[in-house]
Amino acid sequence: MGNKTSHDSDVSFIAALAELLRDNDLTELQVKRDYGENDSLNVRVSRQTQTIVQASAPAAAAPAAAPSAPAMPAAAPASDTTDPANHPGAVTSPMVGTVYMAAEPGAAPFATVGATVAEGDTILIIEAMKTMNHIPAPRAGTIKRILVEDGGPVEFGAPLVIIE
Amino acid sequence: MSTKQDDHSPWPEGYDRVVLDSVDSTMAEAMRRAPDIQRPTWIMAKTQTAARGRRGRKWVVPEGNLNATLIFRPEATPAEAAKRSFLAANALYQALAIYISADKLSLKWPNDVLLSGGKVAGILLESSGQGPFVDWLSIGIGVNLRHTPEGVEDASFAPISLANAGGEDVSPKDFLSTVADAYATQEAKLLRLGFDRIRDDWMSNAARLGEVITARTGREDVTGIFDSIDRDGNLVLITGTGPRAIPAADVFF
Repeated sequence: MGNKTSHDSDVSFIAALAELLRDNDLTELQVKRDYGENDSLNVRVSRQTQTIVQASAPAAAAPAAAPSAPAMPAAAPASDTTDPANHPGAVTSPMVGTVYMAAEPGAAPFATVGATVAEGDTILIIEAMKTMNHIPAPRAGTIKRILVEDGGPVEFGAPLVIIE
Repeated sequence: MSTKQDDHSPWPEGYDRVVLDSVDSTMAEAMRRAPDIQRPTWIMAKTQTAARGRRGRKWVVPEGNLNATLIFRPEATPAEAAKRSFLAANALYQALAIYISADKLSLKWPNDVLLSGGKVAGILLESSGQGPFVDWLSIGIGVNLRHTPEGVEDASFAPISLANAGGEDVSPKDFLSTVADAYATQEAKLLRLGFDRIRDDWMSNAARLGEVITARTGREDVTGIFDSIDRDGNLVLITGTGPRAIPAADVFF
């Protein structure tokens, strides 16, 4: 689907699973993530065999970050709808946590729609376990859409912003 | 109480140390130095002119207290990097337990060390990167060694200092050696034994385990029985509607 970012994020998720598998001396690990209607990631990682990735179409709805937040990336060359996760300019979340659009409450947001950003500029922060992870712009461009809300929860792989 | 001299404590191998007289904040300094560091580096400042806590909260730092930040490049995804919160809390707990009875210390999810139920320290982590690995991770630690900060309002847990609680007198530099050494041990433990062991250590010193606590997220208050922390480091509360795993919140009890 030519979506490098979500592909990369899926790959890093799978890599993290593989690491978990190894670290905990497990032989197999299966994770299913429902990102939205017709959009899920189903991963089974097992040792000494191979990694199997498949997308499926679950019935369950996802606990999306916000009502406006769209569905998330599928690993397989599936949907090509208007799903922003499939947008080539989508920046996806590398972790589960809480989104902050500014360094502190009341401060100017890192990114606003229409603003230009340079590669490496912080566009938002995702917090988990009192760790503030700065999400850098993967490339220079203009912020076209912001798909998350300040203070809202975010899932792994969720599209955060679209930069073109 | 006894007075110790500086620089009698061992310094962990493989770590660098920078001691500054004054800086805006050791977290800001760490971020500036991030592109250039060769090895994990502890940056300590005797005073900070613009110290800050989580989400920009004020952090008061009288001289004689510890202000330090560890900056390094772990080969870790952002989610793995965030687990360092527990390593830092364990290390700080162990460092403090050298200078005061461990009976007075407890941990509050994810990384607060409480002394006699009060806030003796603060830990804040920052990282940057889209993945798969973070570019850098910084762990900021502030400890009220000799002075209890004044003018702290609306604190959920009243500030307290090691000295006021009857602990041994220790200089910031000496305490940094202690905590740096304990932190290096935690990293070695993570590498050899995995996060489960780190989690077990943390849980064994946790306050209010099995009791009702409240986690305040950006959107809601979740109240439930403090069951555990899961393998991702999430706080697990048993609520009226079932278990909830919470990745980011402030905990109250």
